[in-house]
Amino acid sequence: MRTILTIAFKEFQLAMRSISSYIVYILFLIVGGAAYSTVVFKIGDAGLRSYYEILHALFVLFIPALTMGSIAREQHSGTMEILFTMPIRLIHIVWGKILAAFLQLLTLLSFTAIFYAVIAVMGVNFDHGANLLGFVGMLLAGLCYISIGIFASSLHENQIQAFVIALVISGFFFAMRYVILLMPLSMVRYLQFFSFDHHLASFLRGVLDLRDVLFFLAFSLIFSFLAEFRLQAQNLLQER
Amino acid sequence: MIEIRNLSRSFGDLRAVDNISLDIYSGKITGFLGPNGAGKTTTMKMMVGYLQPNNGNIFIDGKDVFADPIANARKIGYLPEHNALYDEMYVFEALRYYADLRKMSSEDFTQRQEFVVNSCGLQDVNTQKIGTLSKGYRQRVGIAQAILHDPEILILDEPTSGLDPNQIIEIRELIKELGKEKTVILSSHIMQEVQAVCDRVVIINKGKIAVDDDIENLSKYLSDKEMLVLEIEGEDIDLTDFYTANPSAVPVLEEKTADGMKLEIQQSPDECLRRELARFIAQRGWILTSLFVQKVSLEEIFHDLTRKATDIHSDDEDMPEDEHTDPESTDKDTLEGEDTDSELIEEEDYEPVELEEIEEAEMPDEGEDS
Repeated sequence: MRTILTIAFKEFQLAMRSISSYIVYILFLIVGGAAYSTVVFKIGDAGLRSYYEILHALFVLFIPALTMGSIAREQHSGTMEILFTMPIRLIHIVWGKILAAFLQLLTLLSFTAIFYAVIAVMGVNFDHGANLLGFVGMLLAGLCYISIGIFASSLHENQIQAFVIALVISGFFFAMRYVILLMPLSMVRYLQFFSFDHHLASFLRGVLDLRDVLFFLAFSLIFSFLAEFRLQAQNLLQER
Repeated sequence: MIEIRNLSRSFGDLRAVDNISLDIYSGKITGFLGPNGAGKTTTMKMMVGYLQPNNGNIFIDGKDVFADPIANARKIGYLPEHNALYDEMYVFEALRYYADLRKMSSEDFTQRQEFVVNSCGLQDVNTQKIGTLSKGYRQRVGIAQAILHDPEILILDEPTSGLDPNQIIEIRELIKELGKEKTVILSSHIMQEVQAVCDRVVIINKGKIAVDDDIENLSKYLSDKEMLVLEIEGEDIDLTDFYTANPSAVPVLEEKTADGMKLEIQQSPDECLRRELARFIAQRGWILTSLFVQKVSLEEIFHDLTRKATDIHSDDEDMPEDEHTDPESTDKDTLEGEDTDSELIEEEDYEPVELEEIEEAEMPDEGEDS
């Protein structure tokens, strides 16, 4: 546990020192804010549901950018070599990095609390439960995208390649909602299991379904193990 | 104690490490010496568990390195060849980070940090960002990182690369000091470094162990060649008679100059031919303008040594001892430029007296010469 926290804290600290992460944050907040102000007030509903849907789409672009360097940069610069020879488990490195990215996401989303406050104050019949749960759902979905991003980052030394791979995998799970519309009804039942939207729906309705929580957690865990496997295999496969 | 058994590792078609077996005992400094690409780094990477071997095992204190990598990592301090550090971190921060990863207690860390910062000379840069440091300081931070947790085994891959001469001496002293209690394994392509620091030398060439011996015995592998470098003025210079009279002299280079000839003649060190040569030249009426004895450069010795040793190991036919190594064929990449500075020109071999003698001998013929 201490190892995970050490790595997460260091990653988070370094991210906070880098100007490029601030650029990404600001872009994210501008786009998110613009979407919020144009969408939310047009719908006669005092809720953040429509905003969360836009946020979800933003995740697909933004989180790969957040995570792309995480492992790739260390592999490229060679700092990974020392990390590998520390008395730590590889999965702890992966979890530490996931936690660091999650902390960044949490920090960033905490700025959007103002959106929540505005609509809570101005709206009528504002449902705190559903909107807060929606936020939790977004965080869980974010965790999944982060683990995809970390896995993609472990695949390549090149950050851009890591970004593209993460974008493709994340895009697949995001776009499932549109794909299932074209599928025969018999397959929809199975395919929608992989759609993040399907699992987010209950959160946005204000219902906490343990199955959905487990889906997101298991999903993140699987990708973290894939990243660990990749790092382990690299010992054997590396060409130089 | 580290036991390496039949260790092999290939990268594609390239066999980087080829069936190496080796025992490394505690409390000694072992030096891996070899040209670039000899397999030193690959062997070290496998010893720290970063790279898995295709074949063979490494046992540290009787336990396989890959059976329990975490317990193994606790015992080892490692300085990689490409000493990569987090540029955005401060020196003290980076040390703290590595200490945390190694689960050191904070009292332990404070105590060790003081030692490490002092012994690696990091006092002045402790609060600087690593990205702003010079290569020498970065190397020191890397060494500090490696010895921070007081490891039993220290594996240093080219620890003095990028350091200036004073720093090199400091770091060598530090390594010697550490080597009194710990098992230190270092790699280098600089022969003098290994000679200065190590108790034992393992010369690796093309993935195989060429020589494995105590450092005192290294000299016996060293090439027994010396070169006479001379310039002669005169016409129709021909030293064939001299070579027939002294078969141990082998001409290496005969180059015509404007008013004479420049020669390099190889001789064996136990039989110095300077006097005979000077006399011979004087008798023929030529003028000897310069003559000195040059030890064969380290590059050539090294090249010769790795070649010879590989021959011995592969049971090839004996190479004739005085067969000459063409300087052109030496691999210039094996040693860096800094080493060629160390061509040992023995100053005591300039003996002006002899030249005077020669000049005296020449006087009668060259009446005008003063």
